[in-house]
Order: sequence, then structure tokens, then C-alpha cells
Amino acid sequence: MITFEAVTKRYAGGTVAVDHLDLEIPDGQTMVLVGPSGCGKTTSLRMINRLIEPSSGRILLDGQDVAASNPAELRRGIGYVIQQSGLFPHRTIEDNIATVPLLIGWKKARARSRSRELMTLVGLDEDLARRYPYQLSGGQQQRVGVARALAADPPVLLMDEPFSAVDPIVRATLQDELIKLQAELHKTIVLVTHDVEEAIKVGDQVAIFRPGGRIAQVDAPERLLAAPADSYVENFLGFDRGIRRLSFLAASGLSLDDRAVVDDEDTSAAEAAQVAREAGEGWVLVADGGRKPLGWASADDLEAQPAGSRAGEARLEPYGHTFSVRTDSLRAALDATVLSRAGRAVGVDEDGRVIGVTSYERLRVAIHAAERAADAAAGRGAAGSATSGGTPSGGAASPGAAADGAAPAGRAG
Amino acid sequence: MDWSAVPGYVRDNAYLGIVPALIGLVISVPLGIACVRWRWLYPPVLSVTSMLYAVPSLALFIVLIPYTGLTDTTVIIPLALFSLCVLVPNVVDGLRSVPDPVRQAATAMGFGTLRRLVRVELPVAVPIVIAGLRVAVVSSISLASIGQLIGVYSLGYLIVDGYQRDFLEEILVGGGLIIALALVCDLVLVLIRRLLTPWQPRRSKRELLPVVVTAPAQARELSRSAG
Repeated sequence: MITFEAVTKRYAGGTVAVDHLDLEIPDGQTMVLVGPSGCGKTTSLRMINRLIEPSSGRILLDGQDVAASNPAELRRGIGYVIQQSGLFPHRTIEDNIATVPLLIGWKKARARSRSRELMTLVGLDEDLARRYPYQLSGGQQQRVGVARALAADPPVLLMDEPFSAVDPIVRATLQDELIKLQAELHKTIVLVTHDVEEAIKVGDQVAIFRPGGRIAQVDAPERLLAAPADSYVENFLGFDRGIRRLSFLAASGLSLDDRAVVDDEDTSAAEAAQVAREAGEGWVLVADGGRKPLGWASADDLEAQPAGSRAGEARLEPYGHTFSVRTDSLRAALDATVLSRAGRAVGVDEDGRVIGVTSYERLRVAIHAAERAADAAAGRGAAGSATSGGTPSGGAASPGAAADGAAPAGRAG
Repeated sequence: MDWSAVPGYVRDNAYLGIVPALIGLVISVPLGIACVRWRWLYPPVLSVTSMLYAVPSLALFIVLIPYTGLTDTTVIIPLALFSLCVLVPNVVDGLRSVPDPVRQAATAMGFGTLRRLVRVELPVAVPIVIAGLRVAVVSSISLASIGQLIGVYSLGYLIVDGYQRDFLEEILVGGGLIIALALVCDLVLVLIRRLLTPWQPRRSKRELLPVVVTAPAQARELSRSAG
């Protein structure tokens, strides 16, 4: 647990970088500090391992004031990942990773084998062990940076804009891998970013900073999207937070229509047209005998088929991308629906078999139900997080409260 | 003309070229570190080393003769002082070329100031320091011949002797050997740098060209690749 108690950083000349910051970062969670440049988020991060000393207030690491510890020793116990990887150019990859183990006196052989272990963990080929940093791509260097930070297995990991120097595709991959890694390692991670998408994607908790070094809101990502504390937070989150919030609501709450699905093997075109008319949608999904989707057939086209033809002989519109009912979010379901020519999307099970199809009306019902359930479950957190200014919100005091919201879909979408 | 003495002159000249540069290096490293640590120190140090460089070598020899006599030392001291003019700035530039994220990462990993200097900053500064050393060695090798005027032997002997006897070939051989010696020492330093810094991106073959041709361009390139 990392605790900021009324921490202020004032620079000579009077600039206040961080203003009476109170924040609790629970063990095993990812706390993202996000805000515009100059909001004090990086300063806050660097005060944890004493790269910067606060002007007043205390920072406690597991109850111990960090100011009381020897800075070098403190830092060896805290992993640190920096923006441009900050790899030592004159050391091989394995030696870069082994930096802290060697500093704390591990035998060289043990440190090296630990390096190899970590390279595998972060998805680096072992052949790269003897290479030098300049021989690696930006994304690979950043992986080495993460491996190096994890080498001595510190409980706390500080990440200072770790992915902002790589291209968007690599960034997305690295974010996904961080999420996977964290699910395995359960470190206490503090990550600084200016990218609110990244914050929402990787954070268990997100602290939004406002200029002047004060916190605007601390909350779980889905709560931020559902209930921004004020207009600053709302603007910071961007205009489509309603859609993005759906990422946190599970598609399993959606009631799917399985009547508008016909089996190509035992349904004639005429019968399929009948089904479409009865469903009132004008479209049926044609599936094969194994309930794998084949495509959408319109009622008009089905009726135009010669008598005796099968449903699958009509002109089939591509069914686009499906969503997994059990693992995807309502956002995935909505997206698939929007993209579909039929205005309906196909929900499938783990094996890709059709469970049923969506409609806008069914989505609307599911979205409202899920939102109501999430709001009810997080009622306390939502009320608390409405505080603004330097005081921590209810989200910080009761971390995870919002995460218990109804049917969270994890980080899908 | 006794050509059998020429190898001895070559050796003496190499000695008078390399030793001052090494002494200069030993002085420049701590001085450069101090100049980076205390920024205010750098401008005055730079003025002093530049002023020293402006003093004619012969004048310095004559000032030193009462103390050190007509010995190697009398030549080595001025040449070592001259080398500071290139070596101190190169040590400073070398240390400043350490990218900020690298320095920050070292601190954040738990390196103390001294350990960071020895394990990270100095190794990263090596290419730029050696670039300075190349200039220092080459200029010491050519300046060493002036020591001949006070009787300290080097390839300068062939030039002085050739002049006195009006023997053009001897002058040309002396000058040519000085240039050849400088080129060889320079090449050796390049190879040493390659050995010491396998971590540097391999650049073009151009880096094997003599320092006099490539020094400015290389200094730029080095500081770019290190920064």
C-alpha cells in the first residue's frame, strides 16, 4: 500500500507541482495517474522512490515513511520503467535486465538465469540476450525496460509514461501484455500517462489530475465513465464516454433473439421468409447444420427464390464480426450491430456457434439494465467521488467498490 | 647519414606523442567530472586550457629547462598541458552525452552517484573521450619534433639535421615518418575504441580515416548517436 498524506511539492520560484495530494494506492492494483502535462502526475510518481523530495507531507510505503529510508536502497526495492526505456546502451540486454539483482549482490550466474526467465515473461526471444539496446526496436527496448524493472521481483512498480514513445500498434500490444502480466504478478503498479484511453484500459483505479497538482477524481475506470465528478473530468474523458463505458458492461446480460436464426439444412427459403416476417425484422440469419453463421438473408430476397430452394440459396449478406456472449462487452455487441448490414449482430458461444442475434431495441434494454445495476452497486462510490479539489474521492477510500458493479466485462473492447 | 638510428627516433617520437596524451587524459577525467558536477567551473577551466594551448611550445620548453633540464620531461609537460585543450571538453561532452533517461534510470535502479559515474556515465562517455584522445595523440606526435630544438630526440632530428646539412631527402623522410606514425597511432586508437565499445552502432568505414580528416564530422556524429 502506498499512501500520500497531504503531499505538496513546491519548486523554488513558487511553482506548485503537487498540491496537498492525498491518495491511497492499494496493494496488487494498477493505479494510473493521468492528466495534462504539468499537472504534477510525474512529480507525484517520482516522489514515491525519492527521485524528487516533497516540500511537505508524507509518503508511506506499507506504513513506512519513505523519507526515513536510504534512497538507493529504497529504489532497489521499487521497479522503475521510464519513457524511452532508459536502457544502458553499453550493456547487453541480459546485463541490463540483471542490473538490480547484481546491485543487491546476486551471483552473476543467478542474475543471468533470472534475466532469461524475464525475457520469456515479457515476450522477448532469448537470442536477444547478448545483443545491445541499439540493435532492438523501440517496442523490444520497452519490453526490456519492463523486464529490468521486474528483475529483483519488487512488490511495487513505477511506470513513467512507459508506452508513449512507441507507435500506436506496438503501444496497444504492450498495454495488453501489461494487463496480462499484472493478472499473473499482482504488483502494486503506479503508471503515469497523459493518455486517458490508456488509463481506462490498464487501470484498476484512475486518478485524474487537474492543472495545479490537484486530483479531480479517483475512481475505477467504469465509474469515471459512468459518473464523472465535474465538467473538467467529463471533458477530459472525451465525448464518447457513454460508448466507452459499455466496455465494462458484459454482453451476457443481453437477451438475444434466437427465432430469427434458421438452419440452412432443414429450412426452405419460403419458410425462412415466413420467419423473417414474423420476427418483424426483414432479416434472418442463416446458419449451417452446426449452427455456424453463414450470412443474413432478407425476407424480400428469400421470397423471390424459386419454390423448393433452401434458405442458404438466397443472397447472403456477410454477417461481419460476431461477439462472444460470455466474454465480450456490450460495446462489442453494439459495435457488431452498428457494422452489420442487417442492423443486427450475431452472438456466439466459445465454439463460434450462434446463440442468437441482437437488435437495437434489445441492446437498449440491456444497456439500461446494466447501467442501472452498475450504478446501484456503486452508489456509495458514485456519491463519494463527486467531491472535487484536492481531497481524495470516495473511490480512493474504498477502492474496488465500483469494480464490484454488476456484471463487469473486464477490459473487453 | 646514419639511417640505422631512424627506428630509435620513431620510438622516441611515439613515446613523446603517447605519454603526454595519457597524462593529459589522467588529468582531464577528474577535471571534466568536476566541470560537469559544478557547472560554474567549466568556463574558467576552458579559458585556462585554451590559454595554455596558445603558449608557443618552444617558450614553454625554455621556461621549464631550469627545472627539468634538457630531458623528455621538459617536452612531455607542455604537450600534456596542450592536450588538455581537447581532452577536457571531450570528457565534459562525453559525460553530457549520456542520455537523460539513462542517467535517470540508473538513479532509479538504486545506483549511488559514484557508482553511476563509474558504471554508467564514464563507459557511455568512452567514444567521445577517445575521439579527443585521437586528436591529442596526433598533435603531440607532431609537436614532439620541436623538442629537437632543445636536444630531445625524435623524428624531428631528421628535419633539423636535414635543414642544417641542406639535405632535402632527410627532411622529407622525417616529415613523412611523423605523418605515418600519427596515422598508425590514430588507427590503433580507433581499433581500441571498437574493442571497448561493442555496443556502438557500427558506422561507415569512414571512421577508419585519419582523425585530421574526420574529427569534426565524427565528433558531431558521436554526440548525435550518444544523445
